[in-house]
Amino acid sequence: MAVNDCRDFQRRLEAWIEGERAPDALTHFRECFDCRMVVEDMNAIQNEARAWGDHEAEPNERVWTSLRTQLEQEGLIRTAKAERVSPAALPSGENWLSGFFARIPRPALAGAYLSIVVALGFALSGPANKQTNEAQWLKGTQVATSPLSAKLNSFEQNSIPSNRDLNPAVTASLQQNLAIVDNYISLCEKSVQEEPQNEVARDYLYEAYQQKADLLAQIGERGENVQ
Amino acid sequence: MSTGRLAYTQGTLGTRWKTARLLVPGLLLCSAVSAGPIRHEQHFKVAAHPVITIHNPEGLITVKAWTKAEVMVISMPASTEVEVDAEQMGNRVDVSTRALSDSVAPGDMRADFQINVPEDAELQIHNDAGSVNVANVLGDMNVETVAAGVDLEDTPGYLTVKTVGGSFQCLRCSGRIEVSSISGNFRLIDLKSAHVWAQTSTGNILFNGAFLPNGTYSLKNYSGVIEVRFSPADSFDMSATSLKGKVINEAKLTPSTHEHHFMPKWGNALFGTFNQGRAKVELTSFDGTINILKRD
Repeated sequence: MAVNDCRDFQRRLEAWIEGERAPDALTHFRECFDCRMVVEDMNAIQNEARAWGDHEAEPNERVWTSLRTQLEQEGLIRTAKAERVSPAALPSGENWLSGFFARIPRPALAGAYLSIVVALGFALSGPANKQTNEAQWLKGTQVATSPLSAKLNSFEQNSIPSNRDLNPAVTASLQQNLAIVDNYISLCEKSVQEEPQNEVARDYLYEAYQQKADLLAQIGERGENVQ
Repeated sequence: MSTGRLAYTQGTLGTRWKTARLLVPGLLLCSAVSAGPIRHEQHFKVAAHPVITIHNPEGLITVKAWTKAEVMVISMPASTEVEVDAEQMGNRVDVSTRALSDSVAPGDMRADFQINVPEDAELQIHNDAGSVNVANVLGDMNVETVAAGVDLEDTPGYLTVKTVGGSFQCLRCSGRIEVSSISGNFRLIDLKSAHVWAQTSTGNILFNGAFLPNGTYSLKNYSGVIEVRFSPADSFDMSATSLKGKVINEAKLTPSTHEHHFMPKWGNALFGTFNQGRAKVELTSFDGTINILKRD
């Protein structure tokens, strides 16, 4: 199969990350800035995840179980006994994630999951939509951000420990800043809706989601520390 | 005799009462003092380039460099139910605060520190609330906080600072600086750093330092003010964009000779070169104001 657009390349990203360099994929990689950025982000996340795995303690069982259940429900990872399926045989464009997550050390998964969901959502909505008009830009952004927003909200509900577990000053700061980031997201979304092709606004929206993912990972980590 | 004895007894009682009146408040004062913060002092001999890690939930952390090949940790836990562990593993000293019982309220998990380290020490500090102050330490440092402010002075190492709401101030820092926050304000004063990357969402950023040749300076926020001060001798290539806010510029910029800038269709932007354009300065805001002002 020829790699003739970004979606094809991203479907074969798992093989790429494993070191496979098909000539057509290599050609596309050299020519496509956006796909190079996606690969760079994946490598950075993987490296970071490995580093975390070397140094950090095991995460809280509750957080892990909740996260694993969510990932399994979404089909992003399999149960331990499930046989490995060829990515090409799987229906979803996100299936390469399954292998990727299987290789990430468990402690790194929570933060990496959030980051990767944000990065992937924007990566998939970007290159394929660039040549289209405003309506398609807007649709592309909404397609990318709606599931991200839902995933982050779900993680927020599952990962935030009760207030009594945390230092009041820290809790107040985290909640205040979470509200700031949520407000930041809604303002960026409004801006993107007004000007769907505005790349600066889209970048800010992406960063706002990334910031929320980072913040939720920090909150989750603190929840583990107090239990 | 009895009178005399009585007089003597009365005199003795009077003296004892006087003594008691003096002693009791004194004893009460002593007990009050002993119930306050307990001060522990520990010393660790270290070799060149030691690494010191500090994990503390809340408190004031002050780190200063000295000329001794030794780390001195003075800790003051907020209560007797909180303990500070400081241990050496090779050339690394790990300092952490822990609860001695499950009944300690999260708000009571506090300890203050005064730590002296060799000049070439590397620091890794994690302090959620309170403050972190470091002066004259030459090694690299990584500081992470939630609400705690971070103040660094005369630190030439590679600095990575991450806060959630805490402010960051860097005075006469000269190493690579990477700082990020959500609502913290940044003040970068008298800097001599060739690489600065600063990003905060709602905080203000003040940069008042030298733009070194081949240096890169990237300051970004969502709202708030980004203020950059320059002097006539500075040399930089400037890119300043505020999507919905203002860009106020006092620098006489000429069209850039170094690279072609893509002029965005959105927002207020200016690009140009000041003198020879040796440093690269990139200022970006969503709806904040960007001020590029002459240094006083």
